[in-house]
Amino acid sequence: MGYVYPHAPLEIIMAHGLTPTLVRARPGIAGAFEASLQTFACSYTRNLFSQRANDQMPASSALLFPGNTCDSLLNVGDIWRVRFPDDIIFRLTYPAANQGEAAVHYLADELRSLSQSIEAAFGRPFSEEEFRDAAGLTRQFRSAAQFLYAARVVSPQVLRYSKLAALIHTFLLSPDQKSANEITNASTQVQRALARSRLLDSAKKIQEQLIKRHLTPAALPHGAKSPRIAIAGGMIDPGAIVALFNAAGIPEDALVMDLFSFGFKTVFTPPCEVGRDPFDSVARSILASPLEPTQEGLGVRLAFLKDVVTNLAVDGLIVCEQSFCDPDEFEAPSLEAEASKSGVAVMRLPIDPELSDRERLGVRLQSFLETISPRSGR
Amino acid sequence: MTTLGQEERHTEEKVYRQLRANSLLQEIMLRYMMEGQAASEQGKLAWVTSGFPVEIPVTMGVNVSYPEQYGAIIGSQKVGPEICGFAEELGYSQELCSYARSSIGSVRYPEKSPLDGLPKPQALLACNNICGTVLRWYDAVSQMTGAPVFLFDTPPTEGDQPSHHREYVRQSVLRLIDFLSRTFHTSFSEERLRKVGELSGEAIDLWTRSLKACRNRPSPLNCADRFLAMAPIVALRGTEPAIEFYQALLEEVQERVSQGLGAIRDERIRLLWDDIPPWFTIFRFFNGLAARGVVFPADTYTHAWSGSLAGADLLDSVVSVYSNVYLNKGLEAKVDKMCELIKEYSLDGFIMFSVRSCKRYSLGQLVSKELVMERTGVPGVVIEGDMVDSRLFNDAQIQTRLDALLEMFL
Repeated sequence: MGYVYPHAPLEIIMAHGLTPTLVRARPGIAGAFEASLQTFACSYTRNLFSQRANDQMPASSALLFPGNTCDSLLNVGDIWRVRFPDDIIFRLTYPAANQGEAAVHYLADELRSLSQSIEAAFGRPFSEEEFRDAAGLTRQFRSAAQFLYAARVVSPQVLRYSKLAALIHTFLLSPDQKSANEITNASTQVQRALARSRLLDSAKKIQEQLIKRHLTPAALPHGAKSPRIAIAGGMIDPGAIVALFNAAGIPEDALVMDLFSFGFKTVFTPPCEVGRDPFDSVARSILASPLEPTQEGLGVRLAFLKDVVTNLAVDGLIVCEQSFCDPDEFEAPSLEAEASKSGVAVMRLPIDPELSDRERLGVRLQSFLETISPRSGR
Repeated sequence: MTTLGQEERHTEEKVYRQLRANSLLQEIMLRYMMEGQAASEQGKLAWVTSGFPVEIPVTMGVNVSYPEQYGAIIGSQKVGPEICGFAEELGYSQELCSYARSSIGSVRYPEKSPLDGLPKPQALLACNNICGTVLRWYDAVSQMTGAPVFLFDTPPTEGDQPSHHREYVRQSVLRLIDFLSRTFHTSFSEERLRKVGELSGEAIDLWTRSLKACRNRPSPLNCADRFLAMAPIVALRGTEPAIEFYQALLEEVQERVSQGLGAIRDERIRLLWDDIPPWFTIFRFFNGLAARGVVFPADTYTHAWSGSLAGADLLDSVVSVYSNVYLNKGLEAKVDKMCELIKEYSLDGFIMFSVRSCKRYSLGQLVSKELVMERTGVPGVVIEGDMVDSRLFNDAQIQTRLDALLEMFL
């Protein structure tokens, strides 16, 4: 089952014997949306729609769209049903408000309803055993990926960002034992490397703090390379950022942390607990994701950003904005202001999945890195 | 008081007939704005979105102002590009909603904005039943004003609203009452809500009767009439002045119907309007079409305020009314509504205004246009532009599309 929004209930889908697979926006897709979507649909949905219209979308038995996350994705789900009537489309409608237990109960019921729809469509009932296996798998993946995020904060050169992005992407495309083992092996190797340079404890401490979302000043090695860049945004493909960095000749070591939906926000989602009601458990897991999926809470998101840039010795922040993406474009000025207040250089990067302005974006990135200097006191 | 005959002579050169009730409307809206200013000074003003369950703050003695309505004022005063530009200077993209941009811009520079901006709010009450943008917009205003944001979350529905949606929204109502109690040091009374709900329902009933009178041929109201006359149903639901105005409007509408007078002088083509209007050219646009015999007896926008609070469980009624607004339903419901209006109002075709600012309303129009044409057999056209930001409105391109549609009726 393909899904287009990062906070999909992987464990529930897998408990029905289906493989959840992330359907992402991709560069090089010719526009084929014009007869169905106006140009002010966000670039992400335009890209997905064009993939489907061009028969370039990876095959899947069904697609899961989100509701109540943004208007483009909500409406495009409806349009999809009309334009591609043979596709099986499900919708999972998230709570937008931080409404505590009411939100948990609501989402748990939504998940239950989704589960019933999946069973009705495919004749595959929910299996407790498969749910437990899936929960174990996502737990293994997140634990390894979380450590790798923390490790790169301490020592970005210990693992290329492109490698981390690829490992995450592989799991999100095909969450199986093989992809989970792959990222676990990478984590083991990085742990060894950090142990040799006596940085393992620092990385583990940062991992714990990122999980709890309460940071204290990170202990970085002497002579840590600079500048150190963090990058924020919503449903930006980390692979697209890697491509931009590489095309601009910028070393990946400069990028110490992303705050993307398909990166940090997915990886640091707490695993669901087994042994209790599975729908309630997955709802709690999803709603405890950092900074998403509820839309309420700008203050919390800004406070966390401040925590990141001040405690993880970030010199510069890149704020990505996808074209016509309301959440990205509304929040960018606030993110910019918050980081600037903390003395961090900020660059806003308008971007679309086609990377249609790749050359110019590359030059902007180069200029940004050349102009920022390490923060004083470090 | 001006008689219909005198009014007739005053406007005999015009292709449309002005409503006498408009002077009462101006009076009521002016009073409402002054009350908003006074409430702000007393620390009792909340900004609310157009689909917010306003009966709750009104019940609790909290005055309300509507930034969307203020956006319409900015648009109609043709200063949208300038005021939106203030928000763009702050870093907000030109791709974002122009109601939001003009609101943020006017908060930044009230002294350069119409009416010196909206009075300063003490709270920002957003309901996402009209779009997901409102929360982001109010978050931005909150950062500038310090007023806290409350999100009344109404998950979009497909078909019938499931029970867990209803329960969740009900929790939102309780959370809202708690928020208002704490923020404004006030209390909630179900008895008072019933009274406010009755006033709200009466105004909605009067308004609905005026809308339904447009089934007559000629139609007593045109699009611009309804877009102006909707102001109290948006801003003053649950209050006496709204009833006063809609009684006067209905009386005039019924008078027109009984005398066979239409909103325009020579009604030849009856069309449906879909979406928000271009406020900055509202009279020029609709009167230009009126000169060609085109009237709009119905539209999807002004028909959106239709539910009344009633029944033994009033909070449950709040849940039903505010979860089931037009824009909180899917594409299928929108198509159904358009087809229903085309049939009930005997319409010859439809115009869909694809508003770049409003994704919730507009995305899907290319598909729904085909579905409505298929189901009703009448032609339609999609024109693209914006409601406040005239930089996004290409007049020549729009006229060409309209000409193509109108040729089909000749």
